[in-house]
Amino acid sequence: MTLELRRTLGTILAAGIALAAMPWVASDFVLSLALTCVMYAGLAATWALFSGATNYLSLATSAFFGIGAYVTAWGLEVLPYAAVVPLGGLVAAAFAVLVGFAVLHLRGAYFAVLTFGLGELVRHAITYSEKTYAKTVGRVLSDVPDSTLVYLTVLLVALAGVTVCAVVRASRLGLALAGIGSDEERAQTLGVDTRRTKIAGFALSAFFAGALGAAVAVRWTYIEPASVFNPFIGFQTVLIAMLGGAHTLIGPLVSAVGFSLLTELLRLQFPYAYLVLLGALLIVLVLYLPGGIASVLGRSRRANG
Amino acid sequence: MADALLSARGVTVRFGGLVAVDGVDLAVERGELVGLIGPNGAGKTTLFHALSGVLVPDAGRLVVDGEDLTGRPTHEFAMHGVARTFQTPRVFRDMSAEANVRFALQFAGRRRRHEHDAFDDARAILGFLDLAQFAAAPAGALTPARQRLLEIGMALGARPGVLLLDEVAAGLTHAELEAAARLIRRVRDELRIAVIWIEHAVRVLLSHVERVAVLHQGRKIADGDPRTVARDAAVIEAYLGAEAA
Repeated sequence: MTLELRRTLGTILAAGIALAAMPWVASDFVLSLALTCVMYAGLAATWALFSGATNYLSLATSAFFGIGAYVTAWGLEVLPYAAVVPLGGLVAAAFAVLVGFAVLHLRGAYFAVLTFGLGELVRHAITYSEKTYAKTVGRVLSDVPDSTLVYLTVLLVALAGVTVCAVVRASRLGLALAGIGSDEERAQTLGVDTRRTKIAGFALSAFFAGALGAAVAVRWTYIEPASVFNPFIGFQTVLIAMLGGAHTLIGPLVSAVGFSLLTELLRLQFPYAYLVLLGALLIVLVLYLPGGIASVLGRSRRANG
Repeated sequence: MADALLSARGVTVRFGGLVAVDGVDLAVERGELVGLIGPNGAGKTTLFHALSGVLVPDAGRLVVDGEDLTGRPTHEFAMHGVARTFQTPRVFRDMSAEANVRFALQFAGRRRRHEHDAFDDARAILGFLDLAQFAAAPAGALTPARQRLLEIGMALGARPGVLLLDEVAAGLTHAELEAAARLIRRVRDELRIAVIWIEHAVRVLLSHVERVAVLHQGRKIADGDPRTVARDAAVIEAYLGAEAA
């Protein structure tokens, strides 16, 4: 293990311990805000793990997230919460492997559109099967864990996700993913099995989106396809990661916290205009900070050191 | 033919109606230095694409180190010891020069045995190419000529049995060209790697290789020792004639 990786893992652990104290020191409102921040941090970092490194823009986050949520909806009556969360991740990852075989040879806009379409496909498939076989449009979760346990679970999954990101970045898998992002054909001629690498990266990223969906789902108590397969969650994840700097680890994390807090603040202060303000801010950021927040962090670090 | 390190038999590549490579046979023995020449559009680079698995030929067979790899994914060609450079350098621009070479060592070169110290690590390979001082520089910031050298370094990192060089000396001055040719000789002589070398500077190429194959309109029209090939009427007609005139 390199010194740099050990330092990163130490930082993640310290941040995790600090954040784990939140339920005992923060109000309900702050805790719920913290949960949103942590969730988007986990989603954005693990999205960047695959899409940031390879430049394969995936819009499938909503699909994986929704699959995880539905695993909770179906499984929570028979399985403990601690079991449905990893199960949600596994089902999402398995779906990603299947999808990966079908679409990972596509590049650019085709890949983005197809991954988005797949999310819609899953949403409609679940809506249809629920209506036809379960004779229901949504599911009520009756026995849900309390907010402290939900927060700690989401935190644990997000921390695990960020840890995996850090480890992958320092591994051969991370190197292969970066090579694919830089020049896929060149990576092939240097011995990288790009197909397997992409599927592995895509599935790993899907696992955490699914597990986070499964963990967060209990917060809603009523689960229906339209709310858990909300494309906004996927777009927001992509946006956060890109604003932060998708090729870095720290960028999406900083951006997730900033973006979630800002969204909440604008929503409370300007309930009618907040989306307009948010949109304007995004345009400014994209125009003047194409490398993301991480590019500023990197610059000041270089200037200081 | 049977114990050739890399052998192509009847390789044909079509792009729509155009036959870019037409039934080409080419075999390279261990440690051989072979030149590949032909006028623009003769199909040299396309043949390299087929030999390195970058594209799958429409017909013909490719056998590498005794194994038939026809139609197999590109990375398996690299794993079996076929390494190449590209006409326009394709280095990983954001990675350091050293990381570029290390990349090859971590994948294609990882499980391949090596006999020469020059293959030990990225530093040794960069040293062999006289690029050691640029180890930490981002590959994209190197001059085009150095990027071409770095491409050779990446190929060496794959610890190959055969190296396909596609115009590594393009755009060099005459003195630099001679230096590049000497480097290619060292790759073969010291590292015992077979080389197929495409270059438009035919005279320099002919003075360094011990065998040359000539492509013309996708077909191989000559294959033999440079002096004989240079006197071949068909070759002069197709290629050297134009230059001599």
